[in-house]
This record gives sequence, structure tokens and C-alpha cells, in this order.
Amino acid sequence: MNESHAVELLLVEDNPQDLALSLRALKKANFANQIHVARDGAEALEFIFCEGPHAARKIADGPKVILLDLKLPKVDGLEVLKRIKGDPRTKMIPVVVLTSSKEQSDVIESYQLGVNSYIVKPVNFERFTGAVRDLGLYWLLLNQAPKVDD
Amino acid sequence: MANTALDLLLGGAALALMVLFSLNAGTRKRIQAEDRLKSSLKEIEDLKAALDEHAIVAITDPRGRITYVNDKFCAISKYSRDELLGQDHRIINSAHHPKAFIRDLWTTIGSGRVWHGEIKNRAKDGTFYWVDTTLVPFLDERGKPRQYVAIRADITARKAEEEARRATEARYRALFEYAPDGILIADSRSQYVDANASMCRMLGFTRGELIGMHASNIVVPEEIRHIEPALSAINAKSDYHREWRFRRKDGSVFTGEVIATAMPDGNLMGMVRDITERKRIEAAAAHLASIVESSDDAIVGKDLSGVVTSWNAGAEKIFGYSAEEMRGRPVARLIPAERQHEETEILACIRRGERVINFDTVRLRKDGGTIDVSVTVSAIRDSSGAIVGASKVARDITQRKRAEEEIRRLNVELEQRVVERTAQLEAANKELEAFSYSVSHDLRAPLRAMDGFSQAVLEDFGPEMPDEGRSQLRVIRESAQRMGELIDDLLSFSRLGRQPLSKRTVNTGQLVRAALAELNAEREGRQVEIRIGELPPCECDPALLKQVWTNLLSNALKYTGKRENALVEVGWAEFQGEQAYFVRDNGAGFDMRYAGKLFGVFQRLHRAEEYEGTGVGLAIVQRVVHRHGGRVWAEAAPDRGATFYFTLKGETEL
Repeated sequence: MNESHAVELLLVEDNPQDLALSLRALKKANFANQIHVARDGAEALEFIFCEGPHAARKIADGPKVILLDLKLPKVDGLEVLKRIKGDPRTKMIPVVVLTSSKEQSDVIESYQLGVNSYIVKPVNFERFTGAVRDLGLYWLLLNQAPKVDD
Repeated sequence: MANTALDLLLGGAALALMVLFSLNAGTRKRIQAEDRLKSSLKEIEDLKAALDEHAIVAITDPRGRITYVNDKFCAISKYSRDELLGQDHRIINSAHHPKAFIRDLWTTIGSGRVWHGEIKNRAKDGTFYWVDTTLVPFLDERGKPRQYVAIRADITARKAEEEARRATEARYRALFEYAPDGILIADSRSQYVDANASMCRMLGFTRGELIGMHASNIVVPEEIRHIEPALSAINAKSDYHREWRFRRKDGSVFTGEVIATAMPDGNLMGMVRDITERKRIEAAAAHLASIVESSDDAIVGKDLSGVVTSWNAGAEKIFGYSAEEMRGRPVARLIPAERQHEETEILACIRRGERVINFDTVRLRKDGGTIDVSVTVSAIRDSSGAIVGASKVARDITQRKRAEEEIRRLNVELEQRVVERTAQLEAANKELEAFSYSVSHDLRAPLRAMDGFSQAVLEDFGPEMPDEGRSQLRVIRESAQRMGELIDDLLSFSRLGRQPLSKRTVNTGQLVRAALAELNAEREGRQVEIRIGELPPCECDPALLKQVWTNLLSNALKYTGKRENALVEVGWAEFQGEQAYFVRDNGAGFDMRYAGKLFGVFQRLHRAEEYEGTGVGLAIVQRVVHRHGGRVWAEAAPDRGATFYFTLKGETEL
């Protein structure tokens, strides 16, 4: 969306309501301008690996953190996670799984694939907002990301 | 010679004297006498001739020397007259008679008395002969023996007969005495007159006791009425044969086989053989035979060349051949061509003295069909231990084989069914997982939207809205959140049923304290006394058991929420004969009439306004307890608190 700036946060979310709520929460925490949204797994991968419409972008330009839903059209979240963590150019990008699923198998598999955090989306909006804000604060502001050479 | 001959004749001499006396009466009388003398002499000569023809005659002088022998003496003694004359009788002494016998002979004739007796003599050739002997001494004027006349008759043949008879008698007596069978002799009045040793031994009576007894004294009472007919039968025909029940002197009884016959002297002879042992053996043999005959198994005897010697009814039933068809025929006709080697091997085993036990094989029936049999073959030995044949027991195992086949088939089917059922279960489980995944993921998203957008409306447009609108949006949010909780609880309940148990020994006290620690928030600002008693360790899945304790304690805290002095007790006690853990509170309690609903999913005994809750907590408790093979129940009364008990016995997984 805003390719002139280095993207701080990639939000991968297919559900429009969840997307709207997440964006609302992020906007409240003042992260609105540095967000790129992908609506399915394939879009997410194109953006991360600078392919297709994002061919002009450089992988080294980010994002600084990825918020990833698991249940996604085309390529599902776990596959996206696997690709990110399986590639030396992207494996250092922190990935936070943000999902409705409380299933243990999802949690375990995500961590096996190298996820940095696993957050279950709460139904309660205040708590949802709080979780998203905390994530943004932690990963974007507090966490010192290692420099990745291209 | 003539004188001597005259002297010989005792009767003749007396007659001559009588004639001489009568001649003295006158001349005429003398002439008459001379004539008569002549005629007497003639008579005497005749008598002598006759005597010589009949008897053996010898004359000796007083010292015993032979002075005269007739031809018969020479013939029997086989000596010539010249050899005999002048000898004494020792020449023919047989040394048979004792000295006392000879002394008595001489004493008798020496004193002028006639001696009579039987003497055994020895002929010249060494053979013996017996003579019936009369010795007559002739005395002189002084009364001394002048000469002895011996007249003898040959009784050798009679003596031989007598000896033969004696030998025969001795032989029969020995036979009688030593016969192994008992022998009784009865007289015409059927009283016993003799009994042999075997008879005495058999009956326990002495011979003396038996003599004079009657058959009725030695048979059992029931046999007595058969005695008279038996005696008649014995007298009527020469042989009689019957078994009798005898009673011994001591009262014991035995069976004797009796052969009886009437003897020429009018006596009756009975021979008795004790057949008790034979009867026993016969009975045993008959018993064995009936067992063999009544057996459902084929019992077949064969010799070492495989020829059938015996064939029972079971064999006939199993193989279809009758005993007549099989006896004397090779057993090989029962064996299928491709199994003929088996018989050779079996017979080889038997010859080595080994047994063949429960050898499962196939045999041919008379109708050409085959039959599954289990065969056991043992050696048959004669009394010396030598192997002379084999006994084969064959059992029809067609049914068993069929049953085994059926079992195999059912097992395969069962396994197949298990595989199918497992696959179905796995599929169902997968479906369930997919379902709960979908519930977890998809159902919560709209709720989040309902809650989130209601909040957004409140935030963005709240100030312009009437109070009622704001309140209604809050209801929407509360409902969405509550549904989220229901979904979460339902999912965790469903997970409990699928999650495998990982059991270990767990310190129950620690588990309870950990559960309580999680519930600290619910106790905040409240006065709650918690008493934890002695809690034995248990074998369980700690994560699941912790859930049980958490739910029970959470309930206890929740339902004591309106108590000033809430009390929660945790312990372990015997209850209705079972050791159970319990959690007791002094809270709201419940009506036992509704206890049945207590552990159902989403079942609640209290209104949501009074006490919050989804109605899943106790359902989770029950599911975990059941999966541990235990039992959970409760006791309560409205407003008087509740006690929840559970056990963890057994290893069953539900």
C-alpha cells in the first residue's frame, strides 16, 4: 500500500471484520501508517518475497513484524510460516500467530515452525485491542531486531 | 521111588493102612484086601498124576535138603532135577521175605504143624515167581519131623495183578490227593465219605469234619433247594456240570465250578474248581469290552503287519465298515493314497515301543469320503512284554476342525471388522477434530465482530445515542462474550474425551494447592476458610485431575459467595464403603431432587443472575473421573452446603 516507506507491520487476515477490528486497534496505538495488509497466504508470500505486484520491493525492507492468521484462503498460515522461517532471508522476521484457534496441534506446530509468539484472539474487544496494542509495542518498539544482510 | 511116592500121599497112605487092617480078618478077606489094595494103589497113582499136573511138589528131609521135586517144580524154578536134589531151598530164595517170616515158617513146621503162606522165589535165570505154599511135616514114631512135603501153586500172575492194582490205586490216590481241584466223594445217601486236600483248603474244613457232612452244609442257603435235583441228575447221567455258590467254614462265599459223576460202586464223585478269580477276570474283561464297544471313538487292534484284529462299534460308525468287513484285512484300506507312508511310520514307532499321541490326520470312509481324525496308537504287548501289535484310538474331529475353521473365519472377520471400525472411529475423530477446529476458529470470529463493532459504535457514536441504545449495545456485547465462554468450555470438554491419558503417581495435596492458587482471584476480598485434610497420592493424569480440583474448588468458592464466613473443606474419607476424595462447602447447596442433572453438559441448578457459569464444569469433572475408572457423586441440601465426592479406582478408560 505504502511502498515508499519501509513497512513496519504485515497483517495477514482474510476475515474483514477481524481485519477492521485489528486495524482499529492498531490505529488506536498509532501504528496505522506502517501497516501492509494481505488477505490470503499467497498475497502474504508475494509481499514478503517481493514477487508479482511487489517485485519492486526489497526483501530487506521488512516488514519488521508479521501478524499471521492461520486459517487463510489459498495458502494457509502454517505454510506461510514455514516459508518465512525456512528462508534465510526472512527467517529473522518475528512472526506472531494471531488466530481464533485454541487447538493444541496448531500451537505446537506453530512453535515447531519457529513462530515467535502465539496469540489467541479474544472475543472481548477490549482484550483484543489490548493484545494487538501490546504486540505492536513489543515487536515494533521494544524488540531490537537483528540486521539481516541481503 | 514108588515107596517114596506112596509116602508122599497123605490121603493115599491112610487108605492103604485101612486096607491092610481089613485083610487081617481072613484069607478071603485078604484076597479081597489085596484086590482092593491094588485098586487103591492105582487110585493113589492116579491121584499123584493128577497132583503133579496141578501142583508144584517138593519133599525135603528134616534138615531141609531136597529129596524130591516134580516136573512143575523144575519148570518154574528153571533148575533141572539133578541141580535141585540134595540142595536146600536157599537155592530159590528171593531174599524178599524178612528173616522173621522164615523163622516163623520153620518154627511152625518144626513143631509138627502145617504152614501155609505165599512165598516169592527166584528162578535160576534170576526172574521171580510167587507160589502159594502148603508145608506139611511128617513125623516119626518119636514125634519128630521125618520129612516135609511142600505143595505149591504158581500165583505169580495173581501177585502181579495185585501189585499192578496197588500201583494203580496209589496213582489214583495221589491224583486225588494232589489234584488242584477239590474232590468230594459221597455215598449213596449223599453223605461225604472222602475229600481231598484241595477241597479241605477250599472250604476251610478238615477232612474229618467233611466226612459225614452233606452238600447242604457247604453251599449257600439259596443253593440248598438245587441239591436234590442235582443228585438226581448226577445219578441219571454220567456227567454233570454246574456252577455253585459255596460257603466256607468261616462263612465266606466263593463260586465253584462243579463236575460230578456217579461211580460204579454207587458213590458219587464231585470235582470243584474255585472260579472266583476267573469270574472276576471275566467280569473285568466284559467291563472293558463294553467300554471299548460303547466308545464313540474308533478303537482298533492291529498286528505288526497292519492287519486289523479287532474293530469296535465306534470304528464302524466312524469309518462305515463293519467288524466282519475289517477283521483280518489290512488297515491301509482306510488310508488315503497320499498318506500311506503314515502307517509305515506309525508301525515303526510302535515297533520301537513308542506311542503316537493325538496325531491329526485324514482317513477314508467306506463310502469314499474322507474324515478328519485324531489318532493315538499304543503298542500291544503279550504277557512276556514282547510287542505283538498296536491299538489305535481314532477320534472323529470333523466337528472340531469345522469349529476351528469357523473360529479362524470369525477371527479374520472380526479383525476385518476391527480394522473397519477403527478406520471409522479414526474418521469420526478426524471429523470431530475438524468440527471443533471449525467451531474454535469460525464461530468465534463473528462473536468477536459483534463485540468489537458494538464497542466501536459505543466509542464512535455513544455520546449521541440515547441511554437505552447504549444499554442494548452492552447486552449485545455481553451475549457475544458469554457465547465465547460457552464455546471455549464446550471445546475444552470435547477435548477431554479425545485427549489420551498420561497417568503417573501424583501428590494430591500439591495438586489441590496448585488449583487453589489459580483461583486466588475468586477469593479476593472475601473471608474464606479453607481446610485441607490428609490426601493420599493417586495414579492419574495430573493435568486432567488438576482440572477436576479446579472446577470443584471454583464451584465451592462460587456458591459460598454469599456467605459471611465461607468454609471449604478438602479431604479423603471412607464413604459408603469406598475411599473417596471430597470437597465440602457451606454454600448455597442444592435440592437433591435435581442431583441427576448435576453432571450434564450445560445443566445448571442455579439461575445465571444468582451464580454465573456455563454448566460445563461438573460435566468436565465427571468425564475426567470416569476416564480414570472412578465415580463422582454429590450430597447437598438447599442453603446447607454441598459435598462432592470422587474416586479414581480402576484402570478403565471411557
